[in-house]
Amino acid sequence: MKKYLILLLIVTFFSCKKEEKKISQNTKEIVVDKYKNIYGNWVGNFIADETQGDDEDFVYSNKINIVIKKIDNNKVEGLSIVSGNKRILTGIIKEENGVLDFELTEPGNDKNDGKFYFTISGNELKGNWYANDKKAPVISRYFKLTKQKFKYDPTLMLPADGDYVDYFSTKIDSITAKEDSEIEETEYSDTFRFASDVITKINSSTTLLVDEDLKNLKKLELEILRNTIYARHGYSFKKKSYRQFFDPIDWYIPVSDNVTNELTNTERLNINLLERFEKYAEDNYDSFGR
Amino acid sequence: MIFKFQNIKTLFWQLCLAWFFILMVTITLKYIPFNSKTAFLQIKQTEVLGIKPYLYIFYIHVYSAIFCLVAGFTQFNSFILKNHTRLHRYIGKFYVLIVLILAAPSGFYIGLYANGGLYSKISFVFLSLLWFYFTYKGFIEIKSGRVNSHKNFMLRSFALTFSAITLRLWKVILVYLFHPAPMDLYQLIAWLGWIPNLIFVEFYILKQIKK
Repeated sequence: MKKYLILLLIVTFFSCKKEEKKISQNTKEIVVDKYKNIYGNWVGNFIADETQGDDEDFVYSNKINIVIKKIDNNKVEGLSIVSGNKRILTGIIKEENGVLDFELTEPGNDKNDGKFYFTISGNELKGNWYANDKKAPVISRYFKLTKQKFKYDPTLMLPADGDYVDYFSTKIDSITAKEDSEIEETEYSDTFRFASDVITKINSSTTLLVDEDLKNLKKLELEILRNTIYARHGYSFKKKSYRQFFDPIDWYIPVSDNVTNELTNTERLNINLLERFEKYAEDNYDSFGR
Repeated sequence: MIFKFQNIKTLFWQLCLAWFFILMVTITLKYIPFNSKTAFLQIKQTEVLGIKPYLYIFYIHVYSAIFCLVAGFTQFNSFILKNHTRLHRYIGKFYVLIVLILAAPSGFYIGLYANGGLYSKISFVFLSLLWFYFTYKGFIEIKSGRVNSHKNFMLRSFALTFSAITLRLWKVILVYLFHPAPMDLYQLIAWLGWIPNLIFVEFYILKQIKK
């Protein structure tokens, strides 16, 4: 019996020691990583504020992801990912009354680089961005971002209640009409290409597509199906004509400017097939031929 | 030389035919050199890879059918009909041979695998059978010396040959007007390509009989 008691004592002693060690380690981590809960993706709209020149030179709003990677001794490391541009952010942080004040700059060797000034309080990151190039069409932008976790999920779909109109494909049809007053008037009407709800039904990441699935699809629908694969992987689109479909989607978070290595085999094969059909649609849909 | 209304009309049709013939030649040229992935075949890879004879029969159709259109320039031209009967016979035999041996049978086969599901398959298969029948009948009629009947059957035959052009023309028009989904369009033009042609020719024949 005595033996057992001693053994029990020893066991308890060791286990106690382990616990203590763990606690001390944890407290250490908390001290170092007091900003840990703000690390990650801050996502939202990057909206033009001060602009100059022709209205058509810029996109009013793009989805932006500001990634806070590390804060060490008031020094901040992060990334800004917007419209296919992934830039490293560096700068400093100040803390006043529980509000975190950031001042971050992009490297400066790209014509679209600039400076970010923002604050984080609670679950909101908000602030402004100022372009380095003072002759740029957009001199400053503002943003209010919330924290979102990114996880690749192949089952994500475009919502069924969306309107998928390609607003960057304006074709202006001119109609010359004679008014009663015998003055010739030219009317212009805008026509846009649009996608049917088929794009909300076909999953291009989980199903291996075959010719029959795609034969009745128009070029825009094929493009959207292909790009939904990239969107699921968090690809930040360079083309505004693609961004317009994914920026408004809640689950879409731009996290990378290159996802080629992350594609699954099914996705790779589907992309090849979709590209083949896109090319055929491009060359043949409205021409004399088949 | 006196320009009669009839001459101007003929010239107009010949020019139209020439224009579309050139377009058809450019489509055919896309298939030279022999390639299993070009143009239309881009969306036919299931058949190309899965059904061995498909690709070869498809190419027989592409390379032979273009020659059938040539008949349109010479065979209905009254000047050639009157003064160069021999030429008419040579080109006529060439046309009959190409349609009966190459173009129509290959059309029948690729029709079985046509895009657009059952409706367009029925259309293309039916088209190839009628094309064969009219051409065959036209040939038999002239062998038996029935010139009028020969003329009527050859008109019908060429109306179907001409569907190669009208089918594609309808496509351009319908896409411009309605932007339909590709295969909905295809089901429609599969029928629109040749039925109106045939109706048009039947009316023409009826008018000739009444005269």
